[in-house]
Amino acid sequence: MTTFIKQRSAIALGSRIGVIAIPLVVFIVCVLFVPRFLSVDNLQNVLRVGSILLIAACGQAAILIVGGIDFSMGSAVALLSVVTVILAPEHGVALAFACGMCVAVLAGLCNGLLIAYLKLPAFLVTLGMLMVLHGLASLLSGGMPLDAAPSPSFLWLGSGHVAGIPVPIVLAVLAVLSLHFLLRYTVAGRGWFLVGTNFNAAVNAGLPARRSVLLAYVVAGLFCALAGAILTSRVGSGQPNLYPDLAFATIAVCAIGGIPLNGGRGSAVQVVCGALIIAMLNNAVVLLNLTSAWQQLLMAAVIAAAVLLPQLHTVRRRYTHLFKGNAQ
Amino acid sequence: MKTIFQASGISKHYGTTCALRDANLALKAGQIHALMGENGAGKSTFVKILVGAVRPDGGEIVLAGQPVRFGSVRDALNQGVVPVYQHSTLFNQLTVLENLSAFGLGTARRSWAKRNCLDRQQANEVLRLVGLDVSLDSLVNELSLGERQLLEIARGVGRHCSVLILDEPTAALGAREADRLHETLQVLCAKGTAILYISHKIDDIKRMADAVTILRDGRTVVNAAARDDISAAQIVQHMLGQTFEPQALCVSNRGDVVVEAKDIRLAAGAQPFSLCVHQGEVLGIVGVAGSGALRLGEVLAGAASGHGATLSLSGTTQIINDRQSAMRAGIGYVPSDRHADGLFLGLSALKNASASVLQRFSSWGVLRLREEAGPFDALIAQFNLNPARLDLNASDYSGGNQQKLLFLRNLVLPNLQMLVVLEPTRGVDIGARESIHQALRELACSGIAIVVVSSDLLEVNTLCHELLVVASNRVVGRMTADAQTDAVLSMMAGAC
Repeated sequence: MTTFIKQRSAIALGSRIGVIAIPLVVFIVCVLFVPRFLSVDNLQNVLRVGSILLIAACGQAAILIVGGIDFSMGSAVALLSVVTVILAPEHGVALAFACGMCVAVLAGLCNGLLIAYLKLPAFLVTLGMLMVLHGLASLLSGGMPLDAAPSPSFLWLGSGHVAGIPVPIVLAVLAVLSLHFLLRYTVAGRGWFLVGTNFNAAVNAGLPARRSVLLAYVVAGLFCALAGAILTSRVGSGQPNLYPDLAFATIAVCAIGGIPLNGGRGSAVQVVCGALIIAMLNNAVVLLNLTSAWQQLLMAAVIAAAVLLPQLHTVRRRYTHLFKGNAQ
Repeated sequence: MKTIFQASGISKHYGTTCALRDANLALKAGQIHALMGENGAGKSTFVKILVGAVRPDGGEIVLAGQPVRFGSVRDALNQGVVPVYQHSTLFNQLTVLENLSAFGLGTARRSWAKRNCLDRQQANEVLRLVGLDVSLDSLVNELSLGERQLLEIARGVGRHCSVLILDEPTAALGAREADRLHETLQVLCAKGTAILYISHKIDDIKRMADAVTILRDGRTVVNAAARDDISAAQIVQHMLGQTFEPQALCVSNRGDVVVEAKDIRLAAGAQPFSLCVHQGEVLGIVGVAGSGALRLGEVLAGAASGHGATLSLSGTTQIINDRQSAMRAGIGYVPSDRHADGLFLGLSALKNASASVLQRFSSWGVLRLREEAGPFDALIAQFNLNPARLDLNASDYSGGNQQKLLFLRNLVLPNLQMLVVLEPTRGVDIGARESIHQALRELACSGIAIVVVSSDLLEVNTLCHELLVVASNRVVGRMTADAQTDAVLSMMAGAC
């Protein structure tokens, strides 16, 4: 038994190192083979672009851990941008952003209520929400991008600096730290893991399982709102087609980081690693002057590799762990 | 009778762990042969080797005089070794006939698939052979658990079957269904099939089996002892490697009413009834599968709706209608299906054990992780949790130890007043069973009310002060522990 435990912890350590090793490998490959990759400006650019995806992916991770999924993020940030740009001239930039972000949080709340309390499938609810929010954004904007008055305050979130560091990067770091804290050190985060692992067992253990699911969607709405606000400020306009595949990109981030789609597992570190890999590859593709078609194919290959690698690992261990039952 | 299936000197290592050292078994045609052993004795590995799911490291298997090496389960099936597993492997959405044909499809050659399927007449014959009286077109999920078990056997014997291997066939069955299964086995036996019967239930073994083989620590310690040459006590002794005194009942120090349940209906439109549970009492609830006994336990735990039932705690007028409020009121709950409804299999044992008391080591919603394991140190030793640590994944523990984890979760409830336990020892080995029983007795002695719902009459008899018999969704009898087993049995069966 003790040997078995040692093996198990060695494997756990191995996969933990693996999570950090893969972005490192991608980084080294990029440095070696992509011209102009290794410069302060470019790396800062990688992080700034990646930070929006990273913040949204923090929300997606919380939902995946609780056993759900959210397809509506792309439309939520679009509606957020349109609402913000419409309100900004009359009510001031700060209030406009606050209202825009409230819209995204409300969308998360609606998702959560429908999924947790009406027991509707997350897949359909958030797919419906994707369409509803996109429809609203198109209606409000008349289907055309609305340009914001270019004031420094409007652009600060996306292009400003705090102590020399771009604001999006600062916010991304804060988002990751808060996700880590939530998952590791709070009752709410522990509840997500328990509910995501076995909903019935969570109910029988006397946990507020439905509230836990609702909370995950609301928290995801918050992360999504933050990402959307940065994106809106960065592009300086309200667009119904701002980032249509944001939800899929965040799911890809989580998958590449190794967070399973069936709930109960995941960590902030995994989200960071997944986002870094995607951000670096996107940047490399641009620097190498490849078309967006190549970019998509490359991304598909990376996702396939990320999903398949742990599987190979499992196949190899399958026989040694057969008698232990459900070895993870 | 000739030996038809023989395994000798089987060994199997997983990494550096040795699951089997020297396992032997000799099955004779027309004989029911029991294979016994505690969880972890190597039984499941042995069976997996016998049915071709796992390859042994050493030893040899001889089938009908020929040495065989099974490459896969299908390989073993084709040579007439048919396994029937504890957990159903039927296709619930398909009909009985389609399920019966399922094994045939595995060997079908593309477009000739139809030819290998059973026709209706053959299928009916097979059903008659196992004593199953259902329509070929009924869906499997309309069948009772007992009927499904018989169907699973029918599927196995519908083809060439010389050795039938049954893993805990009666674990999920009520007494009547188990009897029916046993009759079927006798019939198959008479036709010359060799049957390997794996079970924890010593009663079943003593009644059914012609010979007994016992595994301990990966070795065969008793090889094909004739039933009459070995007593129940000896079986237990060989399985554990030690002797074992049955514990006397703790004297009932029945106190005040803890929980009062009124207007319970176990099904919509059923007769309502009320009952009280007292401090320090162990209340047993028995009933065959489908009688409503399990449902009554769930209602008392707040886990299922009692169709208008009200559950109130003594001294207060607090009404409990879900698990969350029940837990806050101090009602602990161990569900009957620990994998589906109890455990968080992907998470650590500690997270499993502390799931109900997150408030206890948190303030303002922030966990104090260092305090999480504290309350469990003493309990781990008291329960003989093995391995005696909580940092492993819950799925790494054996069935009995997983059950202990569920008990740990409830024992640390700060204001535990009543513990509702469904099927406390289903699929659990004797050692764990004894420590679970002991823990329940101690809890009762310390003044906590215990409700035990079990299909195991022996368990209820040794554990409970009072017995409720449930049949057809109502309480048909109430008696003290020393009641005659026969009387209870007839009551359980009578109202069905």
